[in-house]
Amino acid sequence: MDIPLTETDVERLAAEVGLPIAPASRAAVVVHLNALLAAARLVDEFALPDQTEPAPRFEP
Amino acid sequence: MIDAGTSALAIAAAVRDGKVSCRDVVAAALERIARRDAGINAFTSVLSERAQADAAAIDRRVAAGQNPGPLAGVPVAVKNLFDVAGLVTLAGSKINAGDPPAARDASAVARLRAAGAVLVGALNMDEYAYGFTTENTHYGPTRNPRDPSRVAGGSSGGPAAAVAAGLVPLTLGTDTNGSIRVPAALCGVFGLKPTFGRVSRAGVVPLAWSFDHVGPFARDVADLAAAFDAIAGPDALDPACSTRPAATCSAELGGSLEGLRIAIAGGHFGRLATDAALAAVARVATALGARREVTLPEPHRARAAAQVITAAEGSAYHHERLRARAADFDPMTRDRLLAAALLPAGAYLRAQRYRAWFRGRVAEVFRDVDVLLAPTTPWEAPAIGAPWTTRIGDAEVVTRGHLGVFTQPLSFIGLPVLSVPIVTPGALPHGVQLVAAPWNEAALFRVAARLEADGVVGAPVAM
Repeated sequence: MDIPLTETDVERLAAEVGLPIAPASRAAVVVHLNALLAAARLVDEFALPDQTEPAPRFEP
Repeated sequence: MIDAGTSALAIAAAVRDGKVSCRDVVAAALERIARRDAGINAFTSVLSERAQADAAAIDRRVAAGQNPGPLAGVPVAVKNLFDVAGLVTLAGSKINAGDPPAARDASAVARLRAAGAVLVGALNMDEYAYGFTTENTHYGPTRNPRDPSRVAGGSSGGPAAAVAAGLVPLTLGTDTNGSIRVPAALCGVFGLKPTFGRVSRAGVVPLAWSFDHVGPFARDVADLAAAFDAIAGPDALDPACSTRPAATCSAELGGSLEGLRIAIAGGHFGRLATDAALAAVARVATALGARREVTLPEPHRARAAAQVITAAEGSAYHHERLRARAADFDPMTRDRLLAAALLPAGAYLRAQRYRAWFRGRVAEVFRDVDVLLAPTTPWEAPAIGAPWTTRIGDAEVVTRGHLGVFTQPLSFIGLPVLSVPIVTPGALPHGVQLVAAPWNEAALFRVAARLEADGVVGAPVAM
């Protein structure tokens, strides 16, 4: 997702996860979410081998 | 003569030998805190009565011919993220202030006390450990003892400042992305982030389960090693704590560096930093005769992945508090955690896959390197209330977030890192990270001890 999210997007996403976000916080949340998505894109741009499993392991 | 600059081990020796009473040592620490902490704000709780009672118990053991332990009578304090029996674990928050007091000490706190240390208080931090400056809205900023107009660093700002100011010789903090190393560097003290799983986190409020580490601060290497030796080792109460026995690092001090392969971390670790921060690394490298430069693979992506994982895990842990009590959070913590709650799950999982890949590639680097050198922070301590962004070179970066640019890629894969301080009269301190392969804290202590003995690094009390 290369287009930065807006306050409207954040309001909709927050409603979907059942997390109310006060109007006063929305602008800051947008800034932080766009920064996190940019960080996630930086990770995604690097092609990993298919066999790479997530780091955490569970031992029953 | 015991004063603010006396080391923990010197105090312990004097107490064990009956040359000074533990009650006098603890009373002096409490007096220093009462006299100086108003201007620093390192402490959120001072446990005067409990500390005096514990000190009297130590004195009775010495009088009875017993050895109270390697840290006999040493006054210590811990970040208020640690459970302390009878005290509410604030975790830097207003929300947790309404919790009942902890029923028992966190494992690391219990181990320090079992080694003879006397707990004198709990220390300030960023709310829920999610920050690098300890500009805490609820409890006020912790001021840097080397310049009170500046931040102490964070999130373990109280622990670093208390040691730098000589209020106590040893403290405990936690490090998820740099929260021991950053304040250690900015306050000019030694700080150790051990290998992930080396020290129990039982009884410590989490920020991000994947990266949370417990470690000590001190003003000299021998004290740091003694604290680490006291707290390291298996603990069934922490599912992430390794069953691997811990080596005794105090025995490594003074050991030869012959054969130790030391290199400088290049690329990412030499960019977007001030000349002074990079000069600190060069000074340490020259002292160690290290000329070789090695490059870690894609560390900027490791940092990005660390940010994603920390945000996602922190948000998951605090989800109910965010839903029910958002207004009671520190605004800086709240808005970042709320944003993280909206991240797609795939972003988290891809970051965890990247983490596995990065661990493998860095392990290859450590096949022919024993210790890597890197700056701890990109610049000295910012002013309290500094602007949101700062220009460095051609880049505009987030002032507080950028403090972790060199620490985050390393905690991301749980490497042990010891931040050594360079404190120059008339200037603010800098830190240099000594980095080793997992479980090789011993190499870090050997190198740090040599640098200290040669006068390259050191942590005088900030008066």
